[in-house]
Amino acid sequence: MKEGKLVKFNLQQLQNGHVAPFKLSKLLDPEASWDKDQLGDVLHWIRQVVALVCGLLWGAIPFVGAIWIVLLFHCTAMALADAMHLCHISFGYSFLSLEIIGQGFLVLSSGIIYGYYAIILKIDEEDFGGHGTLLQEGLFASLTLFLLAWILVYSLAHF
Amino acid sequence: MATLLSGLKYSDSLAVVGISICTAFLCEAISWLLIYRTSSYKSLRSSIDKASKKLESMKTLDKPSKKSKTKKMDRVETSLKESSRDLSFSKFKSGAVVALVLFVVFGLLNSLFEGKPVAKLPFVPASIVQKMSHRGLQGDDPTDCSMAFLYFLCSISIRTNLQKFLGFSPPRGAANAAGLFPLPDPKTN
Repeated sequence: MKEGKLVKFNLQQLQNGHVAPFKLSKLLDPEASWDKDQLGDVLHWIRQVVALVCGLLWGAIPFVGAIWIVLLFHCTAMALADAMHLCHISFGYSFLSLEIIGQGFLVLSSGIIYGYYAIILKIDEEDFGGHGTLLQEGLFASLTLFLLAWILVYSLAHF
Repeated sequence: MATLLSGLKYSDSLAVVGISICTAFLCEAISWLLIYRTSSYKSLRSSIDKASKKLESMKTLDKPSKKSKTKKMDRVETSLKESSRDLSFSKFKSGAVVALVLFVVFGLLNSLFEGKPVAKLPFVPASIVQKMSHRGLQGDDPTDCSMAFLYFLCSISIRTNLQKFLGFSPPRGAANAAGLFPLPDPKTN
């Protein structure tokens, strides 16, 4: 099925010279073919939304302490994603145990992004530059947005 | 509403965010005026997009002759690198103006909020980050947040997302060709 998707992706590129306009239904369609730029943009905006929601929540509760920013460094999160890919069936359980250990924002948002493109969209990451390329879409902007929302809500709501 | 806002201890943070948002829009307006609306930028961007898509399809489709595939890929890669370089040069002029605007705004914010903590950090930052987050503040409380750190966070998050939203962010092909993280050429190994 993945080979079929790869051929469909390339033929569309060659024949049309441009990609089909984006439709919202494509966001949950595992059969849809994705352009690299479109997928990158979607992952970027998902990360920003997750960052904003996490920042607002973390600030409102409030969660205090640097552990909530990052439990594992980004590169470790990517290594985890590769390991999870090898144990694809047990992905849900791996992610759940990470949640129990600590809901570091970077791990959480990377896990959501990985779960979205690997499980919901069923994308072959090799077509789009590998896990690293997909997981780093919008990463730094989302981290700064998360910190901004967290700091603002914490400062304004609790002092 | 004004009474509620002025009653908050860290209401200055909202002023910093508001000024950052206005500055982001101003910088993008300047960039649009000086670069994005010019025909040379549009044609460069379109050629980068086409070249990077062509390169992607050449890398994934099978070709009968490896030698001709490498030569053709080399030509496309070279043209992509040249277009990316030209794009960087074309953004240089507006980059200087935007940097000046950011510098002036930073100076203005500094004069307004120097020595005053504008927010409270919900974490103790690493010592290297404290150089910015505790810049110009009295006392030893590492969770006091200075204007500089908040402005830095605002600039990065707001400007990046605004550029993305308006479609002004640099094309992905240009970033790869410019070699932000250059990888060793497999052909020379």
